[in-house]
Amino acid sequence: MEALSYMSVILREPWLIALIAAGTCAGVYVGAIPGLSGTMAVSLLVSFTFGWEQHSALAVMVGVYVGSVFGGSRSAILLNIPGAPAAVATALDGYALAKQGRAGEAMGLATSQSVIGTLLGVLALATCAPLVASIARNFHSIDYLMLSLMGLMMVGSLSGRSVRFGLIAGCIGIFLGCVGVDGQTAVKRFTFNIVYLNSGVDYVVAMIGLFGASEALSQITDMKATPVKQKVDKILPSWAESAKYLGLTIKSSIIGVLVGALPGAGGDIAALLSYDQAKRSVKKPSAPFGHGAVEGIIAPESANNAAIGGAFIPMLTLGIPGDAVTAVLISALTIQGLRPGPNLIAQTPDLFWLIVASLLVASFFLLVFGLTGIKAFTKIVEIPKGILMPTILILSVIGAYAIRNSVYDILWMFGFGIIGYFLKRFNYPIAPIVLGVILTRLCEENYRRGVMLQGGSVLGMLGSIFTSYISIALFVLLVVLFVTQTEAYKNWRAKR
Amino acid sequence: MTRKLFALFVILSFAFPAFAADYPAQNVTGVVQWGAGGGTDSLMRPLSAIAEQTLGKSIIIQNMTGATGSIATQYVFDAPTDGYTLLMGAENPALYDILEISELTYENFDCVYLIGDEVVGIVVGKNSKYKSLTEIINEAKAKPYSVKISTTGTGGLPWEVGAFITDITGAFFVEIPYDSDASAKTAVMNGECDFTVCKVQSGIEDYKAGDLKFLCMLSTKEVATMPEVPLITAEYPDFAKYLPWGPFYGVFVKKGTAPEIIAKLSDAFTKAGPVESYQKVLANFNINFLGYSGEDAAKYISSWRENTVNALKNSGALE
Repeated sequence: MEALSYMSVILREPWLIALIAAGTCAGVYVGAIPGLSGTMAVSLLVSFTFGWEQHSALAVMVGVYVGSVFGGSRSAILLNIPGAPAAVATALDGYALAKQGRAGEAMGLATSQSVIGTLLGVLALATCAPLVASIARNFHSIDYLMLSLMGLMMVGSLSGRSVRFGLIAGCIGIFLGCVGVDGQTAVKRFTFNIVYLNSGVDYVVAMIGLFGASEALSQITDMKATPVKQKVDKILPSWAESAKYLGLTIKSSIIGVLVGALPGAGGDIAALLSYDQAKRSVKKPSAPFGHGAVEGIIAPESANNAAIGGAFIPMLTLGIPGDAVTAVLISALTIQGLRPGPNLIAQTPDLFWLIVASLLVASFFLLVFGLTGIKAFTKIVEIPKGILMPTILILSVIGAYAIRNSVYDILWMFGFGIIGYFLKRFNYPIAPIVLGVILTRLCEENYRRGVMLQGGSVLGMLGSIFTSYISIALFVLLVVLFVTQTEAYKNWRAKR
Repeated sequence: MTRKLFALFVILSFAFPAFAADYPAQNVTGVVQWGAGGGTDSLMRPLSAIAEQTLGKSIIIQNMTGATGSIATQYVFDAPTDGYTLLMGAENPALYDILEISELTYENFDCVYLIGDEVVGIVVGKNSKYKSLTEIINEAKAKPYSVKISTTGTGGLPWEVGAFITDITGAFFVEIPYDSDASAKTAVMNGECDFTVCKVQSGIEDYKAGDLKFLCMLSTKEVATMPEVPLITAEYPDFAKYLPWGPFYGVFVKKGTAPEIIAKLSDAFTKAGPVESYQKVLANFNINFLGYSGEDAAKYISSWRENTVNALKNSGALE
């Protein structure tokens, strides 16, 4: 009851609703442009809203956050360029659908699933925040290691035809992920005394190059192919269809909430893991995964938006950010005179429920802004290649530069673009490279930490798995995931 | 000939739009060497928002992260000395050369404004068996390299303070590096590590909730928000020679910038610092306000560096 009265504040102030709507709308476009991120937009707002009263400042930031997480799917589906790392998995089947003339359907599906995902994330935030927070807080180094290994095992899922090619691509990603100053010992690796290599390869730059620039390069060399005519009659999935996939949506959203709540992993890893989960668990997808399966959009899109609610959980209950955007929000709250930490909800319950209410309102506007304009968006795919491809290249350059304002990142981006072009020509999958770059640090640093914690003993580290329930559960999951992928298991299943 | 000279003048006036007299003629960029939402960033954004009112042009904040902030430091150093690119940083560059992170240090920059510094304390989790720093030290002396300190990597705050403690007490610890101060703190709270060093700002709320215990403060006077926490000198009086010590935050320009420009910038920031709304921000972050510029700032930074380097050398953390 108390909660409802706090939440109703938002209904009494149309100004707040207008701010959330504006934030969500801006967020969708920020998210759709590769290189511009929700984190950037929200941190710009921190200085912009300094001096505003708390509720308005928070409302607009929450709107931008929700919009930007969703926006990444737009460019992923239309152009095969994920607008944000959390949309990498969406590109795999979303772009395949666009090539079949079903971009409108894919965008409609991404919208409805993002909205449902956001709502399920908010539900988790409102009802079981303390439980999820205690899991997140008790996640040890070894647990992060096992999570990252699960992530790396997805190379198999992302490989397409040949696992061998996928492994090679994954190894390229892992190698590139090693470049830079090692955070633990300050030793420089593969930097050749160039200061700008010290910070390593930014995975958004890798993503823009491998997906964006390489797509433009390969299409330019194949100018004869005509753009696919898009069908726009069926945009919103029917209720029956949504209900049919509800199980998958809920499963993916749970993954989203849990992974989003972990301070060391966010929506990007959540989306990839749930794509993997969908690929393993859906028996008869509407089309093979990677060739336009709607399940391949449902899983990552619901997971990355559910991760928003997840990321707010440790931020609001522990004062520890669940991802980059919530890190900025913590500083925004502190500047506003609030004290993020374990006492925040007890001291300022109105704030907690304001955030919950803002998320709800933002998801409503997501539906509005996500569905209007789909017809106009599909026209992007029908633009003649002579105009579209150079535009993509220009956007890739701007996006790569915008991340850290570094000219070197543009060079990296083109490097990745050329690598991506040749890999595509020879039928290598490129998603495993991004996966490798994203996961290398998480995997390596937690492995080294796990060993150090046991006095330098690898066996000791493996033994430490059996000291916590979370570790045991993850270990069992890891073994199951591995075993069910082996030939022996598949043969055994086939015989039964 | 005249036309050629005129052309040259036009070109030059475009190439050097910034004559010291009419500074600032365009917006100023503030390069923050840590990420959006971090401690440094949170102090610089509100300060700049106030300072730009005196300056008359906008200060546009850019975060340029990576390699302990050395990417941003290099970037500002590579920019012209026209006062349009400011480095907004924490204490880290003072030690870059010693830690071999970069050849640049604050010696290559002039401090426009030193905002303030911060008190740090030794913390353990709520279920820790250690009730005081002395107990930790005794255990570490009885069994060297058995007590685990969570750090933020070589060169980070807990690493530095760990070296101070080793220098004073002769105790050695296992250093477990994490990627941020939030995760180093979490590691102590969930029992993965035994203790860490925490800024008052990042530990105070967990302390109030009872999840984190401050054993002692590295300060010469008690911290106003937690007067009950003892000072480290109560247990180890020798620490006095390193105190006061803590992370600091400031705004810098590359050496060689015209004195008139530095004066204009210092003036704008010096007026912004004491503004009430900014003092509130500092209080929220538990920052000791210094507000130094010019000589005072330079003296503060060089003595900070000298103290720290001495301690690191004495402890054997550096050769």
